[in-house]
Amino acid sequence: MSSAFELNGVTCRFGDLVAIDEVSLSIEEGEQVAFIGPSGSGKTTLIRLLNTTAVPNDGSLSVLGNAIADQSVESLRVLRSRVGTMPQHLGLVENLTAIQNVILGRGGQRSTLRSIRDLLVPSRGDTEKIHQLLERVGIEEKLFTTVSKLSGGQKQRVAIARALFQEPEILLADEPVSAVDPARARDTVRLLAELSRELGFTLCVSLHHLELAKEFFPRLIGLRHGRVVFDGAPDLLKDQQLESLYELTADEMMTDA
Amino acid sequence: MNSTSGKWGRRRWIVLGIVILFFLCAKSLGLTPAGLIPPDETRWERAGAFFKAALSPAMDYQDENVPEDAPPIWLKGLYGLLLTLKFAFGGMSLAIPLALIMGFFGSSSWWPEPRGRILDLFLRGAFFGFRFLMSLLRSIHELIWALLILSAFGLSPLAGMVALALPFSGTLGKVFSELIDEESRDASTALKAIGHRPLQTFFVAMLPAALPNLITYSFYRFECALRSSAVLGFVGIETIGLYIELSHEEFYYNEVWTYFYLLLALIVLVDFWGAGLRVRLNSFKGGCEA
Ligand SMILES: Nc1ncnc2c1ncn2[C@@H]1O[C@H](COP(=O)(O)OP(=O)(O)OP(=O)(O)O)[C@@H](O)[C@H]1O
Ligand SMILES: [Mg+2]
Repeated sequence: MSSAFELNGVTCRFGDLVAIDEVSLSIEEGEQVAFIGPSGSGKTTLIRLLNTTAVPNDGSLSVLGNAIADQSVESLRVLRSRVGTMPQHLGLVENLTAIQNVILGRGGQRSTLRSIRDLLVPSRGDTEKIHQLLERVGIEEKLFTTVSKLSGGQKQRVAIARALFQEPEILLADEPVSAVDPARARDTVRLLAELSRELGFTLCVSLHHLELAKEFFPRLIGLRHGRVVFDGAPDLLKDQQLESLYELTADEMMTDA
Repeated sequence: MNSTSGKWGRRRWIVLGIVILFFLCAKSLGLTPAGLIPPDETRWERAGAFFKAALSPAMDYQDENVPEDAPPIWLKGLYGLLLTLKFAFGGMSLAIPLALIMGFFGSSSWWPEPRGRILDLFLRGAFFGFRFLMSLLRSIHELIWALLILSAFGLSPLAGMVALALPFSGTLGKVFSELIDEESRDASTALKAIGHRPLQTFFVAMLPAALPNLITYSFYRFECALRSSAVLGFVGIETIGLYIELSHEEFYYNEVWTYFYLLLALIVLVDFWGAGLRVRLNSFKGGCEA
């Protein structure tokens, strides 16, 4: 198996603030990993580094075997089209329909003109495929509904369908469940984990909910002040790094309240 | 306590200053309440006749020299409205594409993020160039544009449309660029993260997001264009304004009112249509507003 991500002493600073501090880790293709840690610990920054929309100030990072420091603007763009990202705020175009949003998932692999045509007259093949995807995420009746008319949970489904339509080799999701109730959050996380196994893409998710992370992910990476304080299976979490874990859950309870 | 009273004090001075400025301007313009009152008998009569005519708009021509086989006045009025609509529509059809081009270069939200020095210089140059062009276009009123164009190219329907299109494209373009830049960038950021090109996100995310507002605003400007188109009649372009001007010159006030009422009806109609359109376009916001 080859690696999805290789980080070696990666540091990312915003002015004086060190958001990611000399992180070294590697994630293999096909893994399911959850990033956990309190607010401000660097989860979003790590995800932005992994999808190459943020650049390390120090250290080396390679994505799907490509060292990103060596890439041109265009080859980085092509690399990004192979990695799906679900940002925390989903980033849907609210006054377009579900199908129009989902079809944009493949925009990175298509020309600008083709994307405009996709919005105006989607091909029959794409429409069928998107209908199946919406069926898979449970909102097939919303194919032609404007996204602004959907509930928070339904919008999340549209974002997941957009990521699936992209057919990425890796899917990054930043706090995918921060906007919904606990029952729905559990459904969404389970769906992502299932899809990752079913379709074979690597899944990296940042999560505030420690319980959900433990339930669905075989590997947890704990971050604190931009450093990795834990990396391993959930059942090891009890023994290893107990001290920082306690602090972590305390913080988590505060942010959840 | 102190700070609020200080704010009040400052506000009082500003209001006082504006009032003083008003009286200074009024005085230098020779403005007195008496100025509204007609100075002599004939003016009184004329004003009276004009407003009395409002109650009895002409159903027939007041001009005796109009040939027998001429169309009835209401039909001529409707034809005038059609011409007015034609100019407004033609002017807007020219103005909107111009405004889209200028608005595109006058907005900055689609600029690629890491960009070379040459591209950066080009984008900034185009940005300021088009912003300047748009201010220039809209700083000159359509009537003045009409006079300039008519004196240069002579009286022609195209001249009227261009005179309307130029200042309107300046205003539309400025508002377009602002509407586009004000849209949330969440969607375009998300799409760039999955490999979309910056320009691509302009067409598939920013423009679609701003589109309902662009259409609503264009429609509002169409109502303005209708009024401006009528006014262009006063410099000789054939719209209902020309008929109003010609009848007014001959003191055929009843005819003037016939045309006024027709124009009013058209504007009310367009206004209703626009209100309906706004409700439909904004229904996606799903709010409780009627
Ligand atoms: N664009 C930015 N400019 C400046 N500082 C930033 C930027 N992005 C993140 N930071 C800082 O980097 C640190 C890590 O932020 P990050 O968003 O990665 O945390 P997080 O773990 O995702 O937090 P949360 O759980 O609240 O989303 C924070 O201190 C934050 O203020
Ligand atoms: Mg975050």
